[in-house]
Amino acid sequence: MKRFILFSVLFALVVLGSPLLILAAKVGEPAPDFTGTASNNQTYHLADYRGKFVVLEWHNNGCPYTRKHYNSGNMQKLQKQWTAQGVVWFTILSSAPGKQGYVDANGENTYMAKMGAAPTAALLDPTGTIGHSFDAKTTPQMIVINPQGVIIYDGAIDNRPTDDVKDIAGATNYVNLALGQALAGKPVETAATRPYGCSVKYKGSWF
Amino acid sequence: MRNPIKVLRFFSCFLLVLILLPDARASATLIPHGTVDFVAENQWITPGQQTYLGINFQLENGWHIYWVNPGDSGQPPRVEWHLPTGLRAGEIEWPAPRRLGNSTIVDFGYDDAVMLLVPIRASSALPTNPAVQLGVQLRVLVCREICIPGSAQLSLTLPIKSMPPEVDARSSELFTAARRSLPRRAPGDWEFHVSDLKDSFVLTGKLGRQTTRATFFPFEESQVDNAAPQKVVPVATGFQLTLRKSDELLKPIKRLKGVLELSPNQAYVIDIAVSDDPVTR
Repeated sequence: MKRFILFSVLFALVVLGSPLLILAAKVGEPAPDFTGTASNNQTYHLADYRGKFVVLEWHNNGCPYTRKHYNSGNMQKLQKQWTAQGVVWFTILSSAPGKQGYVDANGENTYMAKMGAAPTAALLDPTGTIGHSFDAKTTPQMIVINPQGVIIYDGAIDNRPTDDVKDIAGATNYVNLALGQALAGKPVETAATRPYGCSVKYKGSWF
Repeated sequence: MRNPIKVLRFFSCFLLVLILLPDARASATLIPHGTVDFVAENQWITPGQQTYLGINFQLENGWHIYWVNPGDSGQPPRVEWHLPTGLRAGEIEWPAPRRLGNSTIVDFGYDDAVMLLVPIRASSALPTNPAVQLGVQLRVLVCREICIPGSAQLSLTLPIKSMPPEVDARSSELFTAARRSLPRRAPGDWEFHVSDLKDSFVLTGKLGRQTTRATFFPFEESQVDNAAPQKVVPVATGFQLTLRKSDELLKPIKRLKGVLELSPNQAYVIDIAVSDDPVTR
């Protein structure tokens, strides 16, 4: 009987508690590890990049806010600028099949070639596993991870939460700010902001 | 009237009258998945007085637009005014929003229909005029599962008369309904308290009666976790509402400002100092 009770309690904890156990990542805490398959067919483990700065960029090619930063060339410029300095850049696609922004590997490769995108890799996350583990809410949400694997920035790409290309010039780019300060050995001043944009089109989201 | 010049002159006068005829309600303009029209509360503008204009959105079923704090995603409508000298637009007055979304992403906005109110202040030096044009360039993000940016150029022609303002019957119902949905000042005998706990703010309201429903919409982003369920505990004199802090909140805040909705059309603007004292009852 005792064993039955113990079992029931454990079962209840696991089943009922499981949504609570998926604790989303926060600034100042270690980034949850992930394994992702990229559009180039390679597999990437976050843990393999200890010792390097890593940028995560949530992406949906149909989202007006993502388009703002790609049609203007802003995102590609950031990707080139930082990967040239040894930063690892993962573009992450967490749209579920049938939802806006969902593409297969070929679709993403075609898009990246057309746009001149230059991340280290574009990770296909149609189940939303990586997205949910970081509690990614919008596209383009940006996360910066330091060489120790700790999240040092989580939020918006810049301080102008609009879909207007004209707002890029003169905006404060939080990714540049965070990487710039961290690479100079300084603490990141603005470590968390509201990640503006479109909601991530996860499986099961109606919105 | 056989003289063609005279006929033409008559006709152009007629056209001019038509063009200058004041219209309190311009025809609806299309935006993505909806329409917007621009309405005036009064039949004319009176120098030295305030009047209200309404930006009235009608959306297709399932589509929404955003409140001043859009929540986890989205963007509120933006306006750029084109008004004659002597007229000045004030801040948009936003009706209480709704929580839109699912368990992980929650936005604040309006579905179906909403009218945003804008006060227009007329200078007392404003000369009378049979017809002035009031224009606004509107940009709006309309979303369902996906979001579509839209824009509209709205305009309205009104006379300026030195007579006391008179309500335009064609739009009065819209304004009455919109005002009902605006958050108002909380009654003076209500008391609020906000405690800063480790992971949450606890908002206590003493309203003189047990309160079972309460929803808080923060004016500022990145203070409250938008998606977290807001737990209401009714107490004899009011309620206690637990608001999970946003992960984006890294520093303590001095005040918590926002809209507290107790039931539809019963919303209040509150601005409460945050204390780290334990909750008082």
